[in-house]
Amino acid sequence: MATRQLLAPLPIHEKRLANGLRIITVVDRTAPVAAVNIWYHVGSKDERPGRTGFAHLFEHLMFQGSENVSKAEHLSLVESIGGNANATTWLDRTNYFATVPAEWVDLILWMEADRLATLLSGLDQVNLDNQRDVVKNEKRSSYDNQPYGTAYLEIFALAYPVGHPYHHPTIGSMEDLDAASLEDVRNFFSTWYAPNNAVLTIVGDIDEAEIYASVEKYFGGIPASPTLPAHPDLTLAQPLGGEVRKTVMDKVPDPRLHLAFRAPVLADPDLEAVGIATQILASGRGSRLYRRLVRDEQLAQDVELSLLPFVGGASLIVGGATLRPGADQDRLERTFIEELERLASEGPTVVEMQRVAALVESSELAERTDLEEIADGIGMYATLLNDPERINRDLELALAVTAEQVQRAAALFAAENRVVLWYLPVEGA
Amino acid sequence: MSTSRPGPGTPRAYHFPRAFEHRTANGIRIIAVPMPQRPLAAVQLLLPGGASSESAANSGSTAMLARLLTEGGAQHNAEELVEATELLGASLAAEAGWEGVVIGASVPATRIAGVLELIAEIALGPSVPEREVERGKALRLASIEQAQASPRARASEALIASIYRDDAAYGRPIAGTRESVAAITRERLMQRHHELLEAAQPILVLAGEFDPTEIFARVAASALAALPGGGAGVARASADMPAAPGAPGGPALLILDRPGSVQSELRVGRLGRSRLDPQFHAALVHAEIVGGLFGSRLNRVLREEKGYTYGAAAGFDFRRGRGPFTMRTAVETSVTVSALLEARRQVESPLHEPVTQSELDDARNYLRGTFPLRFGAAAPVSATVAGLSVIGLNVEELDRYRDAVTAVDAAAVTQVALDLSREAERIVVVGDAAQIAEPLRAEGFAVTVKPAIPA
Repeated sequence: MATRQLLAPLPIHEKRLANGLRIITVVDRTAPVAAVNIWYHVGSKDERPGRTGFAHLFEHLMFQGSENVSKAEHLSLVESIGGNANATTWLDRTNYFATVPAEWVDLILWMEADRLATLLSGLDQVNLDNQRDVVKNEKRSSYDNQPYGTAYLEIFALAYPVGHPYHHPTIGSMEDLDAASLEDVRNFFSTWYAPNNAVLTIVGDIDEAEIYASVEKYFGGIPASPTLPAHPDLTLAQPLGGEVRKTVMDKVPDPRLHLAFRAPVLADPDLEAVGIATQILASGRGSRLYRRLVRDEQLAQDVELSLLPFVGGASLIVGGATLRPGADQDRLERTFIEELERLASEGPTVVEMQRVAALVESSELAERTDLEEIADGIGMYATLLNDPERINRDLELALAVTAEQVQRAAALFAAENRVVLWYLPVEGA
Repeated sequence: MSTSRPGPGTPRAYHFPRAFEHRTANGIRIIAVPMPQRPLAAVQLLLPGGASSESAANSGSTAMLARLLTEGGAQHNAEELVEATELLGASLAAEAGWEGVVIGASVPATRIAGVLELIAEIALGPSVPEREVERGKALRLASIEQAQASPRARASEALIASIYRDDAAYGRPIAGTRESVAAITRERLMQRHHELLEAAQPILVLAGEFDPTEIFARVAASALAALPGGGAGVARASADMPAAPGAPGGPALLILDRPGSVQSELRVGRLGRSRLDPQFHAALVHAEIVGGLFGSRLNRVLREEKGYTYGAAAGFDFRRGRGPFTMRTAVETSVTVSALLEARRQVESPLHEPVTQSELDDARNYLRGTFPLRFGAAAPVSATVAGLSVIGLNVEELDRYRDAVTAVDAAAVTQVALDLSREAERIVVVGDAAQIAEPLRAEGFAVTVKPAIPA
């Protein structure tokens, strides 16, 4: 297709320090800015029982100061040089990222090195208690006090068995957050935060030789961890083995259907076709589910279906639709599932495959103008697949998916691989 | 590990991309912003005449019209339009703002011509099918219900409504109220469309990897060239969006009762400033220091010192007329009173504790430094240019942005705080009234309690 030549491969260069830190660089001079991104291969899957939510609480403590950066100074310092920074925690990883005027890259590298080398010297009970309160309020405002806010927590608990590392939510439980101690912080830090468990990606208006020299100077003296533990076993012993159902009565305005299905893991080549299947079904107003549920039969106010890739056990497809006031709940569920199963029985049309190809191309073009997304994508592929160059094959792999592969992928929507969760309004809400 | 902080390297120059203007034979204004290495282009057709000119009874009709534009035109019905758009690898959307309706597309620059035809089709002759009007109304009414159930949305909407006088459009949700949406008819929407075309002041903004001369020629050759231009424009709403009268006695506080809430959503607001206000840049700096930066006074105290909240923010919403100034946070129910008192104290603090040199430096550096970060892609460039054009500002405004921010001093920031303090203060709390109403009364607030979800 015409735009394919427009996507020149990103010039990815990589080095590794003696302590195991991977450094990946891409020069992009379209604007005088640079994105710095670190992935640590540790996430909520690595938490131990009784300490759910800890990887995320720890991420907050990474902004509370280290030997040469004072409490809460980290983000203010980034802002004061005209940049933005943040971090996120997910099941398989924790990422820290900053985008700054290019002349300030060195400061960001230095700050990342300072907290990796000396975080514990900034740690005290007051900081831990403060960030524990902040995180508990994050849980309240993002989950507990929002209509349908707890649905994601329910979905993971239903899709993965008790005891599986993906069963519990990344945000954790209030009890476990309360139980977190300074000792836990010290152990977690010394277990997981090591240069040989990190990938540092820098993308933008940079001089690569200078970057490598700076990284060597700031990170070179940080020792590797000789005892980096293996991640927990993510194998799922059994398939879901039947439709898993649950109904939650909550303060919600309208009934809402949530669905989930287990899918192949990130490294599985079949995952590509699963992604295309979700786009045909639910991406945009031309998608099958939108047309049928929202437009034609007017059963739903909205509809969504998306893929959450994970490294072990199973990825997850999650979906949902809010019932149109006055529409029939059973019919919404039946029709939603009928559309999923129809893709498995009939496969996509030629026009649908063309439409998705064009959308995939545009979204790749959009991602290529966003330095943060490029850096994060490289960090992800390096950390989780040991293949930073994979980002340069994304478009090709997506466009290579055939209609037959999409049809086969849709087999995973079968009843024996399905979680059905309804949120229903309680009386008087 | 080195203990000394590295300073900056050599700063690189940054200029907002250069814009090229052109007027077609029949008076359509085109602004083209070439951006090398941006193969995904953005196109925005702006039809001046937005929700700010609606009466209370017609509230939401412009937004409904915008929503229905993408339901098809003379050649394509809704599904054909989606298909035609997506086959171009484009996305097409229409939206109503306070000052105009925008039909926007993102599209690979090589396929701009195709998308211009689709935009022209729905701008000139949208079909607005009766069935889709009814469906659009039903979905909007359902989304009003959803918003009422969300503490965040409910609190913000109630605060905005309390700031403005009943006849000010800014006090209403841009997509309309339950009553006004229920009253929308197809005739009313077609009338609204007619008014937009009759105003005849379209502005077309394009950004991306292209040659501007070639773009001007493409537009002239497209169906868009038939758009009426060179008109007198719509009757604009007064730039003054009048505030509701202040109440005598202690500060008025509205509790929207949501029994069992584990948090209280707190909102404090006042009438803010216009984007055309000469003190615009001073107000930006003021807002960063008070409630914009992570290290702002508000967030530093409420989150990092007290742990009351996941985050607290405050700032102006700049529009053609005077938009609102709002403070927003959500706190655990048991600390509602202390958090509200602290939040109000921090918002007013520049009056009693003038901003320091380092606060001033941080805020100005942040605004200057993040400016280029916002304009990496074509879409934000064209949206920003379009947004300024419709209120009569031109692209030079963006060129002078960084210098104007640099020129803001402490006295200007204090003046912004002083002006703000002279406007009536409004307070809304969405939370569990049984737990918070009495303690708030005991603090001297004139508390009114209403159910969050009206019967």
